[in-house]
Amino acid sequence: MGETAEVLIIGAGASGAVAAKHLSEAGVRVVCLEQGRAVTSDEFYGDKPEWELMSQRLWHPNPNVRGLATDYPIDTSESDVNPLMFAGVGGSTLIYAAHWQRFMPSDLRVRTLDGVADDWPFTYQDLEPFYDFMDEEMGVSGLAGDPAYPPMTPPPLPPMPIGTIGRLAAKGMNDLGWHWWPAPQAIPSRAYRGRSQCVRRGTCMQGCPEQAKASTDLTHWPDAIANGAQLITGARVREITVNAAGLATGAIWIDRDGVEHHQKAEKVIVCANGVGTPRLLMLSGGDRFANGLGNSSGLVGRNLMMHPYAATVGYFDEPLDSWLGPAGQAIHSMQFYETDKSRGFVRGAKWNAMPTGGPLGMRSAYGGAPLEEAWGENLRRSTQKRFGHSFEWGIIAEDLPDPDNRVVLDDTLTDSDGIPSPKIIYRNSENTEKLIAFHLDRQKEAMEACGASSISTTTLMRDCGWHLMGTCRMGNDPETSVLDQWGTSHDVANLHVLDGSTFVTSSGFNPTATICAIALRSVLHMIETRAEQRTAS
Amino acid sequence: MNTLTDNQRQTLGRIGDSLIPAALGMPSFTGAEAQGEMVDHVLALRPELLNDLRRALDGVAADEDAASATERLNREDPEALGAIGLVASSAYYLMPGVRAIMGYKGQEHRPASADEEHDYLRDNLLQAVVDRGPIYRDPGVE
Ligand SMILES: Cc1cc2nc3c(=O)[nH]c(=O)nc-3n(C[C@H](O)[C@H](O)[C@H](O)COP(=O)(O)OP(=O)(O)OC[C@H]3O[C@@H](n4cnc5c(N)ncnc54)[C@H](O)[C@@H]3O)c2cc1C
Ligand code: SF4
Repeated sequence: MGETAEVLIIGAGASGAVAAKHLSEAGVRVVCLEQGRAVTSDEFYGDKPEWELMSQRLWHPNPNVRGLATDYPIDTSESDVNPLMFAGVGGSTLIYAAHWQRFMPSDLRVRTLDGVADDWPFTYQDLEPFYDFMDEEMGVSGLAGDPAYPPMTPPPLPPMPIGTIGRLAAKGMNDLGWHWWPAPQAIPSRAYRGRSQCVRRGTCMQGCPEQAKASTDLTHWPDAIANGAQLITGARVREITVNAAGLATGAIWIDRDGVEHHQKAEKVIVCANGVGTPRLLMLSGGDRFANGLGNSSGLVGRNLMMHPYAATVGYFDEPLDSWLGPAGQAIHSMQFYETDKSRGFVRGAKWNAMPTGGPLGMRSAYGGAPLEEAWGENLRRSTQKRFGHSFEWGIIAEDLPDPDNRVVLDDTLTDSDGIPSPKIIYRNSENTEKLIAFHLDRQKEAMEACGASSISTTTLMRDCGWHLMGTCRMGNDPETSVLDQWGTSHDVANLHVLDGSTFVTSSGFNPTATICAIALRSVLHMIETRAEQRTAS
Repeated sequence: MNTLTDNQRQTLGRIGDSLIPAALGMPSFTGAEAQGEMVDHVLALRPELLNDLRRALDGVAADEDAASATERLNREDPEALGAIGLVASSAYYLMPGVRAIMGYKGQEHRPASADEEHDYLRDNLLQAVVDRGPIYRDPGVE
């Protein structure tokens, strides 16, 4: 470990993998420290009968439920929503649903168009070539021509079939004259670059046992390692170190035997996600940066956005095989995406039509119901009504940045190495509540239009913090942002952040296509300007 | 080694049947014989449920009616009842006979054929969306 890395990456998830692959390809000496371990596809339960049983513990998306030593526990006592993630090579993409959504052009111009939040420091057009590039690297399946977007390069693979539930949902939308489109997914409809064709097990959110889904342990890490990137697992970073000149010099990390190491580096890129990154910056900086590293704006950890999720389930008399995958989405709709102020709120949401899983998953939806409703003969009736006969319209609600929604260091809770855990303080805004109420009403109409015999709604799912954004926002003004448009700290010239923390606003889309496009754009810029950059050496 | 004593297993059978009774063509929890090896299998995979489960089962007297024991547990120790519910329903839905009656083959291996891919183009389901044209706002390029 004596050797100085040219670039140290912290976190081997989506953004870390993109950075490692492209930097190493350009001949940069990369070391990546990841607290989790490498997971192999035979560890996933999707191809085993016990899948649902294990999804409620070992492969649960909430680290507080999994309780693994590789995770850090999170204090959520002051949050409406639980943040969800996974620690390992591939990070949260190991268990993501692989909805592969671009932002719409308006998402980057929220202040200009709607008078709220802030504009991004770049445009949709600036990001577009990087979206295209990432589509190729991930092996995205989809259909070109979606009228919710400007014309774009077709994805490399044909779309996944929309299946029985997609067709049913689409017919309802057609009756209402509403937008829908076969959903883009980072899931290969054909074998692609060493990955298998998706076989529709529908267990994507507990890991893909088929090596089909585009998680970055499969799409990026093999190339990065072949290029010479060094990936160290079980390496929990507790502090980014700085020198007297205020530049980052590397990081202190703890191995699984509890031994501390110092990895020296000329540059540090933090890719630990929208919760892990602000936590680490707040743990770093020492006396010189008493407020946390890169935090002269006071905004590290603030403006956390998590996309509160609401959903409508429709029940149908006919069989829909509604356990068939992919788990994520068959079709999507942006009918109510753009702002219409007459609705009483700004911004909107993407909808996704999704399958409803196996028999046990439907059981857990009853949590908290009175005994006589949840069990006994009613169990029979409800299982018969729901299982295989239902689908869900989900709402990815855009939550606007609010400095009071934040990640802070917890006073008492720590991870297994004794490092302070993050605490989440997060409340839904009035705008979000109105937005969700409006969208649920429209979804009921959509369900009725496609012939649902009955409908149920979830106004806010607590375990829905899949998307962690905004806690080290980008911007041109160092007083109102943490990073510049390339993810470089305004305060520390050789410190960069490339994960979802960088987001200025959240959009109403699943974020990973945009996280990866931004990471790629920033890394290619870093490579181009390599000679001009200030480093610690 | 038995994960549950005979008494505990008997109590699990009684409460399991009150949660999952025979109805609408489906067998009860013990009717499906889920209280035997399948419960052990579930507990081997989820050993952290054992404590709550044993506490729940040991608290039910042999002569306490299953329905009232269930009501009481729900009031006094919902976590313990939750463990019974999860173990019982998991074991039940893992029984091959139960899955066969439900028509559930588990999460299937069903690769898509090229035929399925574009059915909405062949029958014009998507055409109306295309015909309505763009729906995004263009903020313009500065
Ligand atoms: C269940 C689920 C479903 C999802 N579905 C979708 C979807 O359909 N579409 C979509 O776009 N997005 C989805 N997401 C979100 C998606 O997974 C994330 O946006 C994406 O993985 C974020 O990438 P990242 O690089 O920011 O962080 P991550 O992928 O979370 O990676 C961060 C890595 O940093 C490591 N790390 C953190 N702290 C430290 C430390 N101190 N030391 C060392 N290592 C550290 C972590 O262990 C982790 O491996 C989903 C997420 C979940 C949990
Ligand atoms: S549906 Fe496809 S991508 Fe999802 S787990 Fe199954 S094979 Fe993998």
